[in-house]
Amino acid sequence: MTDLFDDVRRGMIPAHIYNDAEVFALEKERLFSRAWMFVGHESEIPQDGDYVVRRVLDDSFIIARDSDGGVRAMFNMCLHRGMQVCRAEMGNASNFRCPYHGWSYRNDGRLTGLPFHQEAYGGDGGFTKSGQTLLPAPNFASYNGLLFISLDSHAEPLQDFLGDFRFYLDFYTKQSGQGVQVHGPQRWRIKANWKIGAENFSGDMYHTPHTHASIVDIGLFREPKAQKRKDGATYWAHRGGGTTYKLPPGGFEERMRYVGYPDEMIGRIKDVWTPRQQAVVGENGFMISAATCFPNLSFVHNWPKVHDHENQVLPFISIRLWQPISANETEVCSWFAVDSAAPEQFKKDSYKAYLMCFGSTGMFEQDDVENWVSLTTTAGGSMARRLLLNSRMGLLPDDSPVIAALPPESFHGPGRAQVGYNEHNQRELLKLWADYLQ
Amino acid sequence: MRIPLSFNDIRHQQAHQFLVDEAYLLDAQNYGEWLKTLTDDVRYVMPVRVTTARGAGFDTSPGMAHFDEDKYSLSQRVARMATEHAWAEDPPSRLRHFITNVRTFAGDDDDHLLVESAELLFRSRGDVNESALMSCGREDLLRRCGPPSSGGWKLAHRSIIADESVLRMQNLAVFL
Repeated sequence: MTDLFDDVRRGMIPAHIYNDAEVFALEKERLFSRAWMFVGHESEIPQDGDYVVRRVLDDSFIIARDSDGGVRAMFNMCLHRGMQVCRAEMGNASNFRCPYHGWSYRNDGRLTGLPFHQEAYGGDGGFTKSGQTLLPAPNFASYNGLLFISLDSHAEPLQDFLGDFRFYLDFYTKQSGQGVQVHGPQRWRIKANWKIGAENFSGDMYHTPHTHASIVDIGLFREPKAQKRKDGATYWAHRGGGTTYKLPPGGFEERMRYVGYPDEMIGRIKDVWTPRQQAVVGENGFMISAATCFPNLSFVHNWPKVHDHENQVLPFISIRLWQPISANETEVCSWFAVDSAAPEQFKKDSYKAYLMCFGSTGMFEQDDVENWVSLTTTAGGSMARRLLLNSRMGLLPDDSPVIAALPPESFHGPGRAQVGYNEHNQRELLKLWADYLQ
Repeated sequence: MRIPLSFNDIRHQQAHQFLVDEAYLLDAQNYGEWLKTLTDDVRYVMPVRVTTARGAGFDTSPGMAHFDEDKYSLSQRVARMATEHAWAEDPPSRLRHFITNVRTFAGDDDDHLLVESAELLFRSRGDVNESALMSCGREDLLRRCGPPSSGGWKLAHRSIIADESVLRMQNLAVFL
């Protein structure tokens, strides 16, 4: 295994890591049990009593807004015999009652009902009811309404875990003081390893002109022509990185309009993005596209043409989780996100743009998954153990970059950024992966 | 309770034939011909099903669907399939749309029929991975667009009710 991690760190990826039960067992033990794992967004549970049930690998959690408005994550297992106390995936409830013996819990997790407490336990003398709660998630925190669980009670604070990547998260999840609302997720299973999607969204500008050629052929998306794509910058900042497109000349407003934002939204965006965040678009000319936050949370922002009759493009945002099922299977959870304060017509058009491009029916996504399933299947054989996949794009043999990093005045965001095709971000993601596993 | 048309009613027979003929077009991925069977104002919707408590009053995800299409977006999907770069279906899947449990109801006027059907899609790709199944119910609105003698029905609205909350299919690069 030591050799494996050394290979990964120099950008030569043992192909079997994309379909290897032993590696997956290690990921469960050392990665998913320690990192901050995305479980949902606060806007999914807007009212008191609203809940969704989400998994971190094999562990089910009730994410609920209690009757006082607090958001909690509670392990979905009855304290008595271990039955799931909530078997719906969403709804509104003041209480959760275990179907096995009828123990019931308030939506803040407190045990309130215990049938025959006196007769069976001798009352509080035998079993003190007060103070008993469903097990809280060891660590639970949010950023811009994005909810994360860590199974490690000693995990570093979420803010520190995300670090400078928060700068970029704001582009996707803070476009006004009200924040985003999310819808979904669409959920479906693909026979592909979870890392492939995470890597792809983190920095794979190189696949866009080829994998997604059909999208350009039909005029749905005007940007991914090969020449244009490599003019974009990729950036990596602490626990995440992503891709951008280079936009035509113009200032901040002009460029936001170019991708389809109406003026009233641009006005609100200017109120909440820092001057430095605005400078990435307005001065440097880069517009965020796909991104990944380690380990398995990704984002995408694109601007297709959504109506036949006009040439106007519309931006959409998707948040997606690559939920690992096994070494060779992933449940994709794909949400549509839009600024809560956006005009209703914009929300409708943006939703339509999302459905056409990403998600279970998305025309971009369809072709991606075809590749990832094929890759995963092939990685399960014995020959894959003899193959090191070359993930050194953008590096010369002495590890110096083919294209130098952008100076701060050309890219105002934190971290390292560069233009041109490269696999810097995929390597950064897998280096983190190696650090957690080793 | 709504009473379906009798199975020997000519309107039911025409509606049933419409669905069966359509299934053959979809099996063959003959999407150009399929588009011609849709009205220009067609709506084609497939909500996301969710597991909710009995009595919750809903079992679809609010504000989210797999498909929520009009003629433009369906035409774009079909146009994409016709390019040389639609890898999701190249090589094509082997598809079989099984249509059964067809019931027809009279519409608001003579030019409309409501048709319910059950559908099982079998999809097989390549030679290694297992085939995939998709079970769903459909509620269709057919509109008469030609002389009564010819049938001349077109699909004006379709709701596809998936029977799974988590689809066991790698994508929906298919129509239902």
